Amino acid sequence: MGRKLLLDKVGIVGIRSYDVYRENGGYSSVEKVLKTMSPDDVTNEVKKSGLRGRGGAGFPTGMKWGFLAKPEGVPRYLVCNADESEPGTFKDRYLMEHIPHLLIEGLIVSSYAVGSNRTYIYIRGEFGWIVDILEQAIAEAKNNGWLGKNILGSGFDCEIYVHPGAGAYICGEETALLESLEGKRGNPRIKPPFPAVKGLYGCPTVVNNVETLSTVVPIINMGGDEYAKYGTGKSTGTKLISACGNINKPGVYEIEMNISVEEFIYNDEYCGGIANGKRLKACVPGGSSVPVLPANLLLKTAKGETRMMTYESLSDGGFLTGSMLGSGGFIVYDEDQCIVRNTYSFSRFYRHESCGQCSPCREGTFWMEKILWNLEHGKGKMKDIDLLWSVQGNIEGNTICPLGDAAAWPVAAAIRHFRDEFEWHVTHPEEAQRRNYGLAGYAEPLKAGV
Amino acid sequence: MAKVFIDDIEYEVPDGKNMLEVCLSLGFDLTYFCWHPALHSIGACRQCGVINYKDENDKRGRITMACMLPASNGTRISIEAKAAHDFRAGNIESLMLNHPHDCPVCDEGGECHLQDMTLMSGHNYRRYRFKKRTHTNQYLGPFLNHEMNRCIQCYRCVRFYKDYAGGKDLDVFAAHDDIYFGRSEDGVLENEFSGNLVEVCPTGVFTDKTLKQHYTRKWDLTSAPSVCHGCSLGCNILASQRYGTIRRILTRYNGDVNGYFLCDRGRFGYEYTNSKKRIIKALKRVSGTYQPIENGNAFEEVKALMGEGKKVIGIGSPRASLESNFLLKELVGENNFYGGISNTEGNLIKQVIDILKKGKVKTPSLAEAKGYDAVFIVGEDVTNTAPMLALSLRQAAKNKPNEEAFAIRIPLWNDVAIREIVQERTGPFFIATVHHTKLDEISSGSFYGHPDNIARLGHAVAQKINNNLPSVPDADRESASLSSSIAEALLAAKKPLIVSGTSLFSKNVIEAAANVAYALKEQGKDVGLIYTVPEANSVGMTLLSENFVDDAIARVEKERADVLLILENDLYQRIGKKDSEAILKRCNQVVAFENLENETTNSCDYLFPAGTFAESTGTIVNNEGRAQRFYQVHIPRNEVRSSWKWLDILRQDLQTAEAKDFDAIVDELIQKNPELQKIKETAPTADFRIGTQKIPRSPHRFSGRTSMIANINVSEPKPPVDNDSPMSFTMEGYHGIQPSPDTAFYWSPAWNSVQAINKYQIEVGGPLHDGNPGKRLFEPDENRQAKYFNDIPSSFHPSNDELLVLPLYHIYGSEELTALSHAVKERIPQAYIALNENEARRKGLNAEGGKVEFYYQDKKWELSLKIDNSLPDGIAGLPKGLNETSGIGYPFRTKINS
Repeated sequence: MGRKLLLDKVGIVGIRSYDVYRENGGYSSVEKVLKTMSPDDVTNEVKKSGLRGRGGAGFPTGMKWGFLAKPEGVPRYLVCNADESEPGTFKDRYLMEHIPHLLIEGLIVSSYAVGSNRTYIYIRGEFGWIVDILEQAIAEAKNNGWLGKNILGSGFDCEIYVHPGAGAYICGEETALLESLEGKRGNPRIKPPFPAVKGLYGCPTVVNNVETLSTVVPIINMGGDEYAKYGTGKSTGTKLISACGNINKPGVYEIEMNISVEEFIYNDEYCGGIANGKRLKACVPGGSSVPVLPANLLLKTAKGETRMMTYESLSDGGFLTGSMLGSGGFIVYDEDQCIVRNTYSFSRFYRHESCGQCSPCREGTFWMEKILWNLEHGKGKMKDIDLLWSVQGNIEGNTICPLGDAAAWPVAAAIRHFRDEFEWHVTHPEEAQRRNYGLAGYAEPLKAGV
Repeated sequence: MAKVFIDDIEYEVPDGKNMLEVCLSLGFDLTYFCWHPALHSIGACRQCGVINYKDENDKRGRITMACMLPASNGTRISIEAKAAHDFRAGNIESLMLNHPHDCPVCDEGGECHLQDMTLMSGHNYRRYRFKKRTHTNQYLGPFLNHEMNRCIQCYRCVRFYKDYAGGKDLDVFAAHDDIYFGRSEDGVLENEFSGNLVEVCPTGVFTDKTLKQHYTRKWDLTSAPSVCHGCSLGCNILASQRYGTIRRILTRYNGDVNGYFLCDRGRFGYEYTNSKKRIIKALKRVSGTYQPIENGNAFEEVKALMGEGKKVIGIGSPRASLESNFLLKELVGENNFYGGISNTEGNLIKQVIDILKKGKVKTPSLAEAKGYDAVFIVGEDVTNTAPMLALSLRQAAKNKPNEEAFAIRIPLWNDVAIREIVQERTGPFFIATVHHTKLDEISSGSFYGHPDNIARLGHAVAQKINNNLPSVPDADRESASLSSSIAEALLAAKKPLIVSGTSLFSKNVIEAAANVAYALKEQGKDVGLIYTVPEANSVGMTLLSENFVDDAIARVEKERADVLLILENDLYQRIGKKDSEAILKRCNQVVAFENLENETTNSCDYLFPAGTFAESTGTIVNNEGRAQRFYQVHIPRNEVRSSWKWLDILRQDLQTAEAKDFDAIVDELIQKNPELQKIKETAPTADFRIGTQKIPRSPHRFSGRTSMIANINVSEPKPPVDNDSPMSFTMEGYHGIQPSPDTAFYWSPAWNSVQAINKYQIEVGGPLHDGNPGKRLFEPDENRQAKYFNDIPSSFHPSNDELLVLPLYHIYGSEELTALSHAVKERIPQAYIALNENEARRKGLNAEGGKVEFYYQDKKWELSLKIDNSLPDGIAGLPKGLNETSGIGYPFRTKINS
């Protein structure tokens, strides 16, 4: 049984309410930091913990806080990014739904660390019921003196506001999120200036993911050094993984970052193996934007090492033979799934979610979706596969924000690893409508030198 | 200077630029869409991708947008690398996915930046084989046509319209490939600068609707460099014609004046030149109606009228050129020449000129005005009286907040970052006017009051800057505190700017503005002082005038005149109806040189067809004292010609002087008026040649020349010759970089759109190759001890029964000629009389729109009521220059009835 830090209390009846949460040791980290620590101490603990951002990019959180500009007389803001909308990722939703006070507690501690007196939770518009849960948790926290003026007599003021978005995926990109929060169109900004210098309303701002901010609570409670003992290498601590697809036990799992991918898929503690006794074909390990990996590259790296559920191991081999831990949206495909169809589905999503600001992404995602529709529906030509490759190549790395990359990577990876399946769709247009390509050689052990 | 490397060649470039600007300035053809020299970089279109290398050992580099890459020392890029080429071609390919490829039916075709860039990028094969997405277009009013399907989503339109011009009703809607630029619903685009979208849009989404009425391709237009006659600012324009009618106006870049932009009055107000009401031949009134008369006969008759011993007087015009006014003055004699405006207005302009000449404060140009960091407007509704100045002031309002961005080393060109930092903030901007004006939306403090109270506020500000000045007696607490904060803000600024003008007909306002500027100057501030005047050549005409129309009236009242010569002047627009009638009746014969039929031409005896700016060559002087040359676009096939030509012919007949060409008249003018010496330098003389070549008015692709009049005669006639300028009326001539005052169109190989201007500038966005056109006639004398004006008016007390009526200005309608253009006509407001609610109630008026009667010069006028609560008590406002209010001289006092 892996150790849990975030979801350890999720099973307690009534943990969503303040009283139960408090009885079970809730808000002790707030007491600890406000009474015994300076903001810099908090930042240092987070730095020591090695915590990396759980939103997808994996940037060290303590370092991000350290970059925050602190000019005199200018307010600073902490913004919680709860705009979780990547296909396959639903861990933040789970956390906020089941143990909202953990996030509120993390937010108070983090606000203290960065000096934010007005902290915002920017939440995905579709999470309407979670807005209510959070509002209630905030009201309870406020009634019990954890928010408002002069919290615990420390002189620190903090208010938390929940701001629902209107359902745009792009508003999960931190600068687009800030634009949206300011009441503008959610177009990403060009950096520099970085939000740490000029963010919300032109003031220094830190934007962190829900899970990241929640993780600050156990870090403070146990100390950064202790937290760093969890996990392996630069992947310290635990991570929430939202597993879905053709597995026996879809759901949100907190894993310590020291287990293998194979264990995660097949162990009954986690996914419990492929559903219906089928075989594993492929997996998208970190949310729809990260490259899809065929089974043979998923379980073992190209070098033949065991693939672990860590930032480093999942990205081993770069995009040629690796992928990313990303936001932890773990999508598993069995032998009956069609990669072309899946890629089309992802492309359709990115086409719809492109903000329309810069050309390569706006036009490229639109074009890719159309080409993939043709391929999937038996109307593709062989040269379409090369065209698709060229279109995604013109997007990747050439856009203002990472949405362009996120749209290009899944397409690139699908062609890279499953080109035969695309070609089969072209050569067997009618057959491709009736059945799927199947497992082919994807589950076979890799030949040396791939 | 910074050293940069472009394709391994080293260049020294100025500091603080981005690589796109640098590349374009160096003459490289690098593709771009969203960047604009006045709107700067946002990095959205991704079209200027180049390879950026870390150092000389980096052989791989990475694609970077040149517009977002600072040209700092050691920057190393490649434009020519294959990866960069492929990226740019690929980007255009993706932009063209949904573009309708309708160039043959698109108004932009042939001068389209998208066409140019597509060719430049090398993209030529289309791999997209799906349906294109389509949009519904919108009705945007009489000026602009909307065709959204052509859009390539560069965001320039909203950036210009919202960020630059302060517009509110154009925005970007929807997302992903469905992005839509337009209004939330069909309707007139309200901003006064909407027409610039025609030039800002890189393709054919926003096109000129007036051009569409009589469409001609760019290459078929014959154009001339000209100067807008719509207000006193003297914005430079390119006027273009085909088949003898003016087709459109485009911006003529002048880095010192209007830069890249024009206001909608200037751009769309040209259609009066094609009006059916144009006087196109000499006319004589015979028993109440005008009959055509042979030129020669007309001259003979007028000559006979003006013969020996006859009392002849002439009235000049603030919208006619210096040369025309001068020749009229010469013809009738100095003592018989009267400037064609009221004495009140004439004296105000004289005072403005006096301050420009003798004051020690600089009058900045329209372009320089953008560089000031605090603004105080004293009594001028700039948006409506001098629209482009309002656009400059909107830019000035950004300077103070921008400093915060510069402090963290964000350069000016990084517009996207600046917008984030500055957000919606504006710098110190104070306005004192009679009523609410549009610039109030960016003001930090507004004051509404009677002109005397505006002047008192100005004096109070001046006194707070210089304690030695007399304090304003009986100042109320509110304006005392406002004047303190204005004085404080102006003193805190590096470059404060004072803006005032003659529109309220108040000497006190003009003096107060000068006092503020003088006081700031004494405090060592780099202060600017701008006065606007009513018309295109108000300053020029006034420089030649000793007396004005009221003097003429006094004279004819005393003693009838035999002949009155009126130069391009509808008296009813400039002086009251009663005065106009008085002078017309007290002269035995009235001869007018006029463009169009108007109220004055109804009572003349002879009419000579005078050219508008389109058919005339001449020099006018703008509000800052800048003399600028405008050229006739074509020689019309009727009798219309420059007024000075008519006058010169008359003079030959009367005084047997020799016929003179334009340069000879300019020589004569400056010989008699040495202070106007510089007007000769405003443009090359007619004998100027490049090698042996003239300068063409038509581009080298001009078509149809041999067939244009084939229905009349199959042999091509000899092209007309322009004796007044070094320009030809044809495509023959020098096609390289021409002298800046004589450039009739912008074109460079591969650059067919308006953005070919890049090639005419020393560096993009900078001055033209041989300097910006125009010469300033007066410069301030730094050493002069400016004399303060000490007459502080007493506070205005509204009277119970009488109202003071002041003119309110409208960009569309308040200018006489542009108001006759079809498109502008649609935007002219309903005539009204404006009162505040309180005043209306006291007069027993309740409902807005109700009829209000008042008397002016013994005549009853009836207009509908408009409630404007910003108007002070005791003051009513009338829209100036509208048909319904023509014949009113301002200001006047009246009683009103419901």
